[in-house]
Amino acid sequence: MATSGKLIEVQHLKKYYHKGKIKALDDVSVESYPGDVMVVIGPSGSGKSTLLRSLNLLEEPTDGSIIFEGVDITKKKVRNAKGKLVKLNLDQHRQKMGMVFQHFNLFPHMTVLDNLTLAPIQVKKMNKADAEAKAMALLDRVGLADRAGAYPIQLSGGQKQRVAIVRALCMEPDVMLFDEPTSALDPEMVGEVLDVMKELAREGMTMVVVTHEMGFAREVGNRVLFMADGKLLEQGTPEDIFVHPQHPRLQEFLAKVL
Amino acid sequence: MLSAKGFQATWKYIELFKQGLICTLSLSALTVIFGFLLALVLALCRLSDIRPFRFLATDREGHLRPQGFLLSLSRLKPLDVLATVYVEVFRATPMLVQLFIIYHIVFHGVPLPKFKLFGFIRFDRFLPGVVALALNSGAYLSEIIRAGIQSIDGGQTEAARSLGLTQMQNMRFVVLPQAVKNILPAIANEFVTIIKESSICYTIGVQEIMYAVNAIKGATFSIGEPLIVSAAVYFCLTFPTSKIIAYFERRMSRGDKR
Repeated sequence: MATSGKLIEVQHLKKYYHKGKIKALDDVSVESYPGDVMVVIGPSGSGKSTLLRSLNLLEEPTDGSIIFEGVDITKKKVRNAKGKLVKLNLDQHRQKMGMVFQHFNLFPHMTVLDNLTLAPIQVKKMNKADAEAKAMALLDRVGLADRAGAYPIQLSGGQKQRVAIVRALCMEPDVMLFDEPTSALDPEMVGEVLDVMKELAREGMTMVVVTHEMGFAREVGNRVLFMADGKLLEQGTPEDIFVHPQHPRLQEFLAKVL
Repeated sequence: MLSAKGFQATWKYIELFKQGLICTLSLSALTVIFGFLLALVLALCRLSDIRPFRFLATDREGHLRPQGFLLSLSRLKPLDVLATVYVEVFRATPMLVQLFIIYHIVFHGVPLPKFKLFGFIRFDRFLPGVVALALNSGAYLSEIIRAGIQSIDGGQTEAARSLGLTQMQNMRFVVLPQAVKNILPAIANEFVTIIKESSICYTIGVQEIMYAVNAIKGATFSIGEPLIVSAAVYFCLTFPTSKIIAYFERRMSRGDKR
């Protein structure tokens, strides 16, 4: 791990569209330490999802760097342990960043169990029995062991999202990225997904969560970031942000959502 | 005109139809195999994101250029351009012209071995036929496959890549299985078309079903009866083909049912 102890360090990240006319990310710098639960809030179009998706390079930033476990993953080439310049293996770094999407993105042609074991078997080269045992254990913890043989279409939204979380966990990531994990759910299913996330946070998983669930941000987050217009306008503890907001944009935003 | 006598006369040459059937079947089967492989390569070329001049997009300090010739060149995808040109040329010229060009120009002077497949199919005619049919159907199939791949939600690829799967693994385990399911009806259609279009190969002397019709016409001086028989033989080939594929379609749609 990096000597600084930082898990993720984002430096001056910029993402421009239309030749710089639209700035989805405008010079964002932020860092995360192991065990941090960082919650990103802000109005829609503020760049919070873009920031999150940049962290594992699903979005290619225009400029800036992202240092994950001591390696700048925005560079095409990196120095290896011997100091030799080698091609960056992005897939290797992505394995350590679990991602959960707003629309679940389960693989519809596979059973739940196959969804969970695909990456461990193909990427980590685990044998099938071990991968399945591990998947079943995790599935059991989210209360879905009995749905292992089901296809995603047979599950409710909340169940799908819990499976999606387990799918990411099966790769034993060092950080979990959540991109509005409850925004596509019916209200009565939001709780079951948030419960799983809270449990994860309690166990010390490093998390970055983009969400509109202010209650979750307050209760679970140990750091809250407020973004608007691609800029990181304010960050602090949940108390700083929700009780003593400084920036007028944040005050205005909170007045609308709380 | 058709007559019972005519059919009796045709029946005497049933051996020619048997040979024609074997020839048509091998012609179509090889065309399907090579056409499909070619189509897969073409489709992947068209969807590839290989930009050899990508490095021209950034200036010396590593910043993205705002605009200009170098930026356009950096976005050039040569594989995409080549595959597109290929597909457009083959779709915009008649099959018969392509066949003649392959036979009379491309294979002109190429010393093909003169052995006979199954004891009667002349290899030096058969091979150009297969090549022409495969090149043609590859162009059509590639468009079907491309559309099928593009019909898969981008979230599937994002989920796969976020788990650390390589682009290859993503294609093989996530995108293609779903794409194939979606395009199976269109592929069935193309396979049936290949069987029927292979009849054109009689013009370069491949001994498939239409060649048998011509031979019988020469021997019995009647064209109607052999034509009717050939139509029946073609029907018996194409009808089961579409039925078999419909069966696989049903089997593969398991993930769609609640």
